[in-house]
Order: sequence, then C-alpha cells, then structure tokens
Amino acid sequence: MNQYRFHKFGLLLPVLVLAFYACLAAWSAPAPAAEPDRLVVYSGRAERLIKPLLDSFQAKTGIQVDLLSSGTTEVVNRLQAEGERTPADILITNDAGSLERARELGLLRPPAPPNNIETIPARFRAADNSWIGLSGRFWIVVYSTTLVKPSDLRSLLDLAEPRWKGKIAIPNAGSEYLQAGISVIKSIYGDDRTKQLLEGLKANAGTQVYGKSSQIVEAVAKGQVALGVVNHYYAYRYLATQPGAPIAVLMPDQHEGGMGAIINVAGIGIIAHSKHADSAKRLVEYLVSEEGQKQFADLNKEYPLHPRVAADPALPPYKTTRVAPVPLTKLGGLREPAMALIEQAGLR
Amino acid sequence: MNQAAVVKPSFPDSLSLVALTVAGLLSLPLAYVAYMALAADAAIWSRLWTTRIPELLLNTTALALSVAAGTLLLGVSLAWLVARREFPGRRVWEWALVLPLAIPTYVLAYIYSHLLGTGGPVESAWQVLAGPDARLPSPHSYAGATLVMTLDTFPFVYLLARAAFLNLNVSYEEVARACGVSRAGTLFRITLPLMRPAIVAGLSLVILYVVSDFGAVSLLRYQTLTYAVYQQITGRYDPTAASILSLLLVAVALVFLIAERWFRQRSRFFQTTGRYRAPARRQCGPLGATLATIYTTGIFAASFGVPACMLAAWSVSAVSSGAVDIRFFGFVWNSTFLSGLAATCAVVIGLPLAYLASRRPSRVNLLCLQAAYAGYVLPGPVGALALLAIVSHLAPFWYGTAAVLVIAYVVHFLPAGLQSMEPALQQVTPNLEEASRSLGFGTAATLRRVTLPLVQSGFIAAWVLMFLQSMKELPATLLLRPVGFDTLAVRVWLEASEEYYQLAAPSALLIVVMTIPAILLLVSKDWRAA
Repeated sequence: MNQYRFHKFGLLLPVLVLAFYACLAAWSAPAPAAEPDRLVVYSGRAERLIKPLLDSFQAKTGIQVDLLSSGTTEVVNRLQAEGERTPADILITNDAGSLERARELGLLRPPAPPNNIETIPARFRAADNSWIGLSGRFWIVVYSTTLVKPSDLRSLLDLAEPRWKGKIAIPNAGSEYLQAGISVIKSIYGDDRTKQLLEGLKANAGTQVYGKSSQIVEAVAKGQVALGVVNHYYAYRYLATQPGAPIAVLMPDQHEGGMGAIINVAGIGIIAHSKHADSAKRLVEYLVSEEGQKQFADLNKEYPLHPRVAADPALPPYKTTRVAPVPLTKLGGLREPAMALIEQAGLR
Repeated sequence: MNQAAVVKPSFPDSLSLVALTVAGLLSLPLAYVAYMALAADAAIWSRLWTTRIPELLLNTTALALSVAAGTLLLGVSLAWLVARREFPGRRVWEWALVLPLAIPTYVLAYIYSHLLGTGGPVESAWQVLAGPDARLPSPHSYAGATLVMTLDTFPFVYLLARAAFLNLNVSYEEVARACGVSRAGTLFRITLPLMRPAIVAGLSLVILYVVSDFGAVSLLRYQTLTYAVYQQITGRYDPTAASILSLLLVAVALVFLIAERWFRQRSRFFQTTGRYRAPARRQCGPLGATLATIYTTGIFAASFGVPACMLAAWSVSAVSSGAVDIRFFGFVWNSTFLSGLAATCAVVIGLPLAYLASRRPSRVNLLCLQAAYAGYVLPGPVGALALLAIVSHLAPFWYGTAAVLVIAYVVHFLPAGLQSMEPALQQVTPNLEEASRSLGFGTAATLRRVTLPLVQSGFIAAWVLMFLQSMKELPATLLLRPVGFDTLAVRVWLEASEEYYQLAAPSALLIVVMTIPAILLLVSKDWRAA
C-alpha cells in the first residue's frame, strides 16, 4: 500500500512543482503592453452596453481591445491605485462626475490635436478636453402604467411624499447616477430640501434598493413597485425587447418653474500614463465620429452628442426637454458634499 | 551522509523562518483592516452607528441564526433518517443529500429568484389556483435569503450528524431503553445530547458560511455586513467606512467562532472503546417509508434536483442560441488556472506551518499556525479590501495581476486546507521519521521519502477542497480580477445580476459539474471513517 502511495505521490509532486513554475514564468514574461496594436479599456459601463462598439472598432482597425468591465467608482479607484503602472489606456464611465474626478486626480490627458472631438458641444466636454462626453442620458421616472397615472407625479422631489411608501424602487448609494442626481438637486435646492428628499426616498423605497438599473425596470414591469428612478435608456431598451410591457417614462421637473430633467453623460478619457496614446486617440475619434455615435443611438437608446446624429425617434426630443441648469463639469466638485448628505441619510 | 550533517542545523531554522514569514504575511490583511478601522475618524464611526450599523448587525445575526435553525432541523432529521431507518432508496439518498454543496449560493439564489419571483413559475401556478391577483411573498427578503442559504448549507450539518449517529456507542441508548424510556425519549434525552459536539461543529461551519456569503445576499438584495462592505468598496472613493464595517464583520465571525470553541470545551464526551457496535437500522413500515421518501425527495429536489435541471435546460437553450462562444473556454481556463494555482500555493505554504505545529509544537510554531487561521474570519470583500491596499504599498507591480487574486484565495481558504493537512501530519508517528533519520536520511530526504508519501491523501483532500472553494469564490474575484480575466463565477454573477438567467446558466452548470466529483471524493473519505 505504501509502495503504491509513494509511487502516486512521486508523480504528483513534480506535476505540482512544474505547474507552479510554469505560472511564475507566465507572470514574469514581458507584459503584453509592449505590443503596439492593443488597447486596455477600463469601463464602468455594463459590458453589453459597450462591448459591441469596441468590437466594431477592433474589426475596423485591427487594434485589439481588452475590456475590464466593472463599477465606475471601482475603476477610478483602481486607476488611482495603479498610478503610472496601470495597463489601462482608456477610461469609459457612465458619469461625468467620475470623469471630472479622474481629471482632477491627474489620471487623464486630452487627445493630441488635430482631432475631431470639437464636434461634441463644449458643454459635454471637460474644460481642457481631457474627457469627452459620448452619449447623453436623463435621470427619469419609469412607472407602471397599470398602477400609476402620469399626472400623479411631476417632480423627482415628489417621490419623498408619504403616499409613495413601499411603491418606489431606487438605486443603491453606490450608484453614480444617484450621486450625480443628488449633486444637481443639492446645488439647485440646497441641503435641507435634498436631505428631506433623501429621507423620503429611504423611507418609501424600504428594501426596494437595487444594484442595477435593469433590475429596477424589471421590478416596475412586473408590478412589484409602482415606479422607479433610472436612466432613460434602461426603460427604452426594455421596451425595445418587450414591446407590450406595461411601463412608460415620465420626464420629471418639466413644469413651469421646475428645475428641469437631470442630464449626465457617459464619457471617455485617455489615461495619462497610457503607452498607446495614438491607438487610444483613434478609439476616441471613432466613438465621437458619426458612425460611432450612431451606434450609441441605435444600440443603447442613448442621446448621441454629435449634432448630426439623430436620437431614436421613440425618445422624448432633446430640444424640447427642459434641462437642469448645472454644468456637467461641476459634478466632480459637488460629489463629496452630495455623498455626505447621502450617507447622513443612511441610504443603503 | 556528509550532506545530512551540513543540512541538519540550517534546515530547521530556515523552516521556522519560512513559517514565521508566511504567518506574518497571512495575518497582515487582518491587521491592516483593524488598523484602518481603528484609526478612522470618530465622526465616521458615529455616523455609521446612527445610520447603518444597527440594521446590518441585526440582519447579519438574524440570517445566521435562522439559517442555523433551519439547517439544524433539516440536517439532523435527514441524518437520523438515513442512519437509523431503512427505507427503499436509502443508500441513494445517503450520498445524494451531499450534492447541494456543489451548488454555489449565488447560483441557488438566482434560480430561486426566478422560481419564486414575481411572474415566475411558482407564482403563475399559484395564480391558477388562487386567482390572477394572488401574490407570493418576494424571495428578495429575509425569508428568501434564509430559504436559499438553508437549502445550500444543510449538508454540513447532515454530514457531521450522520457520522455521529453512526459512530455513537449504541449501548447508551440500550441502557435508556432498558430503563423504560421510550424511543423518542431516548432520541431527545440521550442520543441528541451526546451528538452535541458534532452538531455544533456543523452549525459553526454553516454560520461562518452565512456570515461571509456575498453571492446570495447580493442577488436577493438582503443587506448584511459582507454585502455592505462590498458596496462600500465599489461605490465609494474613501475606504474608511468599508474598513469599519469589515472590522465589525470580523468581530461577528470571531464571536461565533469563540462561542463554538467554548461550547465544545464544555461538552466533551468520551466513548468507552472496545464495546462499540454499529446501531441497527429499523425497517420502516409502508407509511413510514412513503413519508421518508417524500421528505428526502422533496429536500433533494428543492436543494439540488430542480436547480440542476433548470441549469441544464437553460444551458441547452443558451448553447443552441449561440451564447457559448470561444470566450467561454477562456473563462473555463481562467477559473481552472487560478484555482489550481491557489490550491497548489496553499498546500506549499501550509506544509511548513502544519509540519512545525505538529512536530515541534513550541509556542511560536503554534502561534504561526493560529495566524494562518486568520483567513477564516476574513470574508472575500474584506480580504480584497486589505489586499488592494497592502499590495499597492508593498508590491505595486503586482497590482491588478492574477497574483493578488491567488494571494486572496490562499489567505481565505488555507484554514480549510490546514484542517485536513494538520490531522494528516499528526497521524504519522514521529517514530517513522526518527527511524528514517537514524538510517541516514537527512531532514529533507525524510520529509520527501517518508512523511510526504504518508500524508499525501490528506494533502490531496486539502488541495481539492481549496481548489473547489477558489473556483466558487465570488466577491474577491470580482474586486481583484485582472483585465480580461473573468472566471466562471464572475460570468455567472454578471449575467445573473442583470437577470439574464439563461446566459448565466452554462457557466453555473460547469461549476456544479466540476465540483461534484471533488465533493464525492471528499465525502468518500468521510464515508469509510463513519
């Protein structure tokens, strides 16, 4: 018996050791960063919303794109920790505030001129162009047509009213949409009204606090809640796949004297320490071009920011929508005080 | 032999040095989390105390206790049934009831959120009976989390309770019966109290599992400390609040662990050897056999049968719709590679610790071993939080590489491995090693040619166990994965958390299929002993 065991072990040990050394060797091999035609993208967007665009860029240019798809705040934290050693060339996020923060941390650099980014209106870009908006989105209310009439609600602030208790779904406190939305509301209405709103949201949502916007739309469609706060395209994407779903979109705060709908952008920036600035610039230019912008409109139901590309006709027209008057570049600086309010209210 | 003379004085010292270094590195994450939390601004502590902490503590302990109660009920009753009763199919159920361990909690959670969710099959069936407006309570709740975690973890209790039922000296029960105590009275007054150590050991496994679970509670949106730590890490720029919640989580886990140790010390029973006889199984009557079959089948179906069938059906439709492409094989490879590497590293690292603690149990060596157990109370997100910070300070060139992930696995799962490496080493009598030394082998040669061959089956079990757990690990993998290095577990979670259940199924099914043989291997070791 011992003889047999010894024999088997004699086989196992070298295999384990070999495996171990093979792995060590794999690590110490030169990093793939040395190859010219390869980009590493850190993305805070859901993979299915960004990968198709990167795939078509790859097919068009032959530049291989590796994607790390994760949370927006998470990838910004990661970039900060990696500093100059980062393998990343591109940052894509779903929120201008996070891009602005990345800029303030010195993580981004503007694409070298000449380039086509000036086609994107200046209000959707960083002051120094180190990030560029790619697509616009409104923070809207999606409601169940069987449970709610559109006349029941006109402002996001109404969601704090006790009549919505147990009927609303909200994103969790880590959601950049929520953080950006609260930043805007705070800068328009001040701390007290914002605090009131947050406490109302917390009480009314109860346990209906979600990590993903798509789950909120799903919950509304199934009638688990009467309404939810999400970015508009989650609702329209859902309607595109399930045309009969009993949900509709309400653009909040459009009334006379209202603050207007809260807009945010998904945007892109080139990493300051990127070793492939030229390829990175080509990706930015591709996504800003008419071709890339059209994909944002078709695939994601977002508002393209290129003036000559039309949004999906199902969306409320951008031109006639009243927009909250807080510049996107302010979102970065407003973030910390807004977070303080969110945390004081104890949102999940 | 000259060589041996040279090696002898230096080798033990270097071994101790290795053990000390390893132990120091292993306890670093825990120390770091404690430091971060205790150095935090008092204002952050007080804000968390007034807003989040009471709810999170309450939720976490409530879930742990209710799952403990549920697994106690299921585990002990099933163990009693298969160990003390004879009914058709008993032999099959005896091992089939271990299979739920192959399903990761996040997989079971997503299946149940589909089954019991609004508009799901169970609600639709219920509406046929009770009218179209009938609603079922949502699985995204305390009750839902309890159900899923109970179904997933009862085999821990079942396994240990079954072994205890089989190993118990039957003469205690016979004495009770001879004194006129009824069968039920004997069970509750003699047998179960004697089984307390085994049951408590099973429950403590369950509780640690529940407290550190991330997958199920995140998919069922039930706020526990582990989930809150993860949300803090991913949603905030400042890790202070995350480290405070982490420290609390570690404290909760420690309280449960210490309570278990204390309880086990108080209730230690010794069998009088020599008169052991296996207890006989009583034949069930037709009614009893029917009830037993219904019960075991029901639990098996709910915890493994139905979920596995749904995964298979979803996988078929995902594959036929072309959702499984070349990337899928990449995920399989990533999972296998990372878990294999982690398990191998952990065995290599664990060896000096376990060896020294069993061969030279000095205070320092035992302390080293204890330090390695620190990972037990470091749930995935906590370990990830600490490692991210430590690596970015100490070894920045490793940041964002697979190395960090492997370290995280080793820190977290080494304790589980040590639990089977330690006894394996202890069972080898030092006499054999001494004989080898006296016959002229050096320490290294003795280790290689005598000790290791004798302990190999224990070590293989440890390797398998750590491989499995690494493969199923979710939160640390999500937080630490390098670019383009998604694993099967990550894919399941990414798809399932957006309710793309079919797309998540192939990865989930593969995890289950790869886990089953390993579980059966582990159980079969146990089986012979019982």
